Amino acid sequence: MNWLLSFVLAIISSMLVDNVVLSRFYGICPFLGVSRKVNSSLGMGLAVVFVIIFSSIICWPLYQLLDLAGIKFMDTVAYILVIASLVQLVGLIIKKYSPSLYKSLGIYLPLITTNCAVLGVAQSNTDQGLSFLDSLGNAIGTSVGFLAVIVIFSCIRVRLESANTPKAFKGLPIALITAAIMAMAFMGLQGLFSGIGA
Amino acid sequence: MEILWAILVLLGLGLLLGLGLAIATKFFYVKEDERIEEVAKRLPNYNCGSCGYAGCKAMAEAIISGKEENLKKCKPGKEEANFKPIMEYLEEHPNADGSKVKVHL
Repeated sequence: MNWLLSFVLAIISSMLVDNVVLSRFYGICPFLGVSRKVNSSLGMGLAVVFVIIFSSIICWPLYQLLDLAGIKFMDTVAYILVIASLVQLVGLIIKKYSPSLYKSLGIYLPLITTNCAVLGVAQSNTDQGLSFLDSLGNAIGTSVGFLAVIVIFSCIRVRLESANTPKAFKGLPIALITAAIMAMAFMGLQGLFSGIGA
Repeated sequence: MEILWAILVLLGLGLLLGLGLAIATKFFYVKEDERIEEVAKRLPNYNCGSCGYAGCKAMAEAIISGKEENLKKCKPGKEEANFKPIMEYLEEHPNADGSKVKVHL
């Protein structure tokens, strides 16, 4: 049962306590760029979930292979190769099944390749020497955390559109302030696991 | 020796992923009406957007799907150079069910 507990803890802690966007400031580009509509932010979040989970599933054995060949220093290059191919695949799938989503994601879809959240997860998983299950938990938690935060943020932004904000703060400035307040709110979850001792 | 391994591993990885993508492209191929491409070719291709669509490709899509019948919406288009060829082409290439794509000037 121990492995199950650490798996679940890895998911929750990387989702809430160590949220990529709000506490490590990864993936800010799509976070601000695609959060104007709830639908497209949901699509973006799901695409990122897919890419992060599959890239960490592929990258973990890949790292063991690189370790075996004695070329650990090539890890970042190899990860980027894997991530870029996965993003291409996601692009193909979305183009086939939802052309309207494909249009609304626009340039941000290929830009998942350079989304530092994706590379950051793969890199930190192997750098910390996590087991396969823990790195999978980390990937699920991180990506679902990204999805949750970008959807919450887009809901807030939709309401901000019609809110009576001062003219100088319309659009991006008030969005940045909102993001800062959200980051502070998530800081409150920091002590979530102190009772369990994790 | 390390360099050799690095090249080999990355080459293999690239080959594997490339092959996977090639198969995926076949699998997720989006079949597009080739008439869209043909109509877009006969439009002026300034992509000026004065027709109200996002570009010549978008207008061609609207024409083929029957949403747009008025070719004159295309402001820079010339009757001889653009509209006549499009009408001739659509005359020769009806929809799958045999009906004609309706367009007028």
